[in-house]
Amino acid sequence: MTTLGRVAVYLVFALAAYAAVGAVVAGLRRDRRVMRSVRNAFAAAFVSALVAIAALEYGLVTNDYSLSVVFEHTSRNLPLVYKMTSLWASQEGSLLLWLTVLTGAAGIVMYQNRHRNRELVPWVAAVLGGIAVFFAGLAAFVSSPFAHVPGAVPADGSGLDPSLQNPYMAAHPPMLYLGYVSMAVPFAFAMGALITRRTDARWLVSVRRWTLVSWTALGIGMLLGAHWAYVEIGWGGYWAWDPVESAALMPWLAATAFLHSVMVQEKKGMLKVWNMVLVIAAFSLCIFGDFLTRSGVVQSVHSFVQSAVGPWLLGFLAVVLAASISLLIVRLPTLRADHKLESVVSREATFLFNNLLLLALAFAVLWGVVFPILSEAARGVRATVATPYYDFFLVIFGLPLLALTGIGPLIAWRRASPGSLWRTFRWPVISGLAGGAFLALLGLGSSPAGLTALSLCVFVTVTIGMEFARGTAARRAIAGGSWPRALRDLVNRNRRRYGGYVVHLAIVLLVVGVTASSAYSSVDEANLGVGQSMRIDGYTLRNTGLFQRRGPNYRLEYVRLQVYKGGKPDGILEPGLRQYDTGQVGNEVDIRSSLLTGTDLYSILQAPDRNGSGVSVKVLVNPAVGLVWLAGVVFALGALITIWPDPREARQLARRYGELLARSEA
Amino acid sequence: MSPRPRLVVALVVGSLLAVFLAYQALFNSGTLLVSVAQLRSDADGAAQKRVTLTGTVVRASRTSDPMRFVLRDESSAQTVAVSYRGSVPDAFKTSRRVIVTGRLENGVFVAQPDSLLTKCPSKYSSGGS
Repeated sequence: MTTLGRVAVYLVFALAAYAAVGAVVAGLRRDRRVMRSVRNAFAAAFVSALVAIAALEYGLVTNDYSLSVVFEHTSRNLPLVYKMTSLWASQEGSLLLWLTVLTGAAGIVMYQNRHRNRELVPWVAAVLGGIAVFFAGLAAFVSSPFAHVPGAVPADGSGLDPSLQNPYMAAHPPMLYLGYVSMAVPFAFAMGALITRRTDARWLVSVRRWTLVSWTALGIGMLLGAHWAYVEIGWGGYWAWDPVESAALMPWLAATAFLHSVMVQEKKGMLKVWNMVLVIAAFSLCIFGDFLTRSGVVQSVHSFVQSAVGPWLLGFLAVVLAASISLLIVRLPTLRADHKLESVVSREATFLFNNLLLLALAFAVLWGVVFPILSEAARGVRATVATPYYDFFLVIFGLPLLALTGIGPLIAWRRASPGSLWRTFRWPVISGLAGGAFLALLGLGSSPAGLTALSLCVFVTVTIGMEFARGTAARRAIAGGSWPRALRDLVNRNRRRYGGYVVHLAIVLLVVGVTASSAYSSVDEANLGVGQSMRIDGYTLRNTGLFQRRGPNYRLEYVRLQVYKGGKPDGILEPGLRQYDTGQVGNEVDIRSSLLTGTDLYSILQAPDRNGSGVSVKVLVNPAVGLVWLAGVVFALGALITIWPDPREARQLARRYGELLARSEA
Repeated sequence: MSPRPRLVVALVVGSLLAVFLAYQALFNSGTLLVSVAQLRSDADGAAQKRVTLTGTVVRASRTSDPMRFVLRDESSAQTVAVSYRGSVPDAFKTSRRVIVTGRLENGVFVAQPDSLLTKCPSKYSSGGS
């Protein structure tokens, strides 16, 4: 099986190289037969990558400890499902996953465009092939997943880190990989458009769904990671500005900017250079994110020892940046805007400002991530920035961004008159102000930034609500029928727009959840002997005793806390500590969520009672944190609405770009 | 009177940049990142201010409050005692490399609550926070 796997990896490399070279030939000669062969090469590369994965999975499942990947990340007593997911616990294995997704995506792109974009696709294939060659080369020659353990075959593996033995391990990393890898498709199309000088909006139309898939996967992947951290890692939070979290956030921000500015180019033929810059930035940040996780250049919870692929990834990033930026500069003359920005009070301008803010935020995050390296280079000392730095920029760039979320979709294209602004925004503005005043009366003025964020959320929610109400009423006036039916028709007839509003709603939920749970949370710690109690935010928690239980490979010590609210018993919390037989200690937090308010009572056992001073517990009250997870669900729903195939949209595009389709059918 | 769009866009870009630079200049020069040896030798005044310390855990007891552990330099035999309160990451144990923020007081590194991070033992592992 090992030999089969190794051969499969070499085969992926060879096929990707063939596809890349063949695609260039097909592009230069406009040869459709060669192109067909390139298409088949991608399909074959995908199958080979699957075979390689299957071979490694076979090794993992059958405890083949002669393979160093298997030896280092599993052990005999590991449950089967974690043996399987430990494929991506190792860098070598995750490289295989990366390759499979990349070749699979390339195969789908080739199939989707077999009758479309005839001029563009060979160059798209060449770029995707080039990227696949690089990653296949890493797996084949630099960091082989099928390397053997030196010496005799060990009897048992060294085991998987306990924190990775978790169901989220099955979902969070693959989701992020899907996001990182599929960003290669918009990038490849952008490069293809530049090479062929076909820089009108067609390439954007072709990659819209791919960008959405990548962006959705990154977003959901991040939220899954946040939830994992919240319920398992156990410090009471869900986001710690770890460099590797930032690594996923940066391309997501760039992709968000891209998704918005694309609309300006489609409608107005503006921001063409800008869109190219955004695609290059998004893809480069994906590679950079991959580099961060693997290289150990920055201190992070995720990545640590220098690995062989680090310098290669950095080199690849340099090549990607140099090549794409020089291509962009050479092709600048083809990227003239069709229109000028007429007024700063227009939808174009609003989208531009939204883009600037998103990029500014991404840049601030990037600066924070590479700060240790920069400071070492500039001042000779390593220094890091911490949470306050990131929080500052999140507030200062994020709040205007949130305001634009409400303004952008409603403001007129070209130029909005003061009168129309007043008519459009009077109710949202009045509601936002009234909401803010009401919340201030409730005492939420303790955090000015929090109060501003919540008021803006009211503003945005009202604009979205008005859009749905107005659209549904208009629909019903035209077609009649019931309200729900009119609403469904409305969304169906313009998925992009109303799906977008649903995503905006998710952002509002996320902001409310993050604001409430960070700006208005309470924390307290106490040493509690049996019978003693502590109070926090209207809750009273009484220690009713310390207990022990044996698990399969650990001993659990937990304290039973009786919760009272308003003098009445209100459930039990049992935070504990797992003492693994290997000597490791694991937190076992206990969280009680209120479905109604989304507020969590979060308890951590910090130290059991060993010298009679009582157990050390930490308790947090995180208001509305449930909204963060709800936001993830709404986000996925909104994204799904916009991604879902839409025959009406396809017909419209065919009409608009009919000449292109007609030519390629010929 | 309509403002010229280009000018306004330039002003917006300028002000974003200004906010960024002002923050860097006013608040932030980062927290120094030092090894145990650098802390001991007071490199760059590391022993006099708040720093982020990295090292390997050699002795740890979770029973005392605040918790105590000893960090050893990664390339020499120098050590420093650390006093810490707050949540302890799952992967914390002796021989692990950790990162912790605080300052040196009377020879003991007094850590900020909840500032302890464990560096992962595996060559590469994804996931978690």
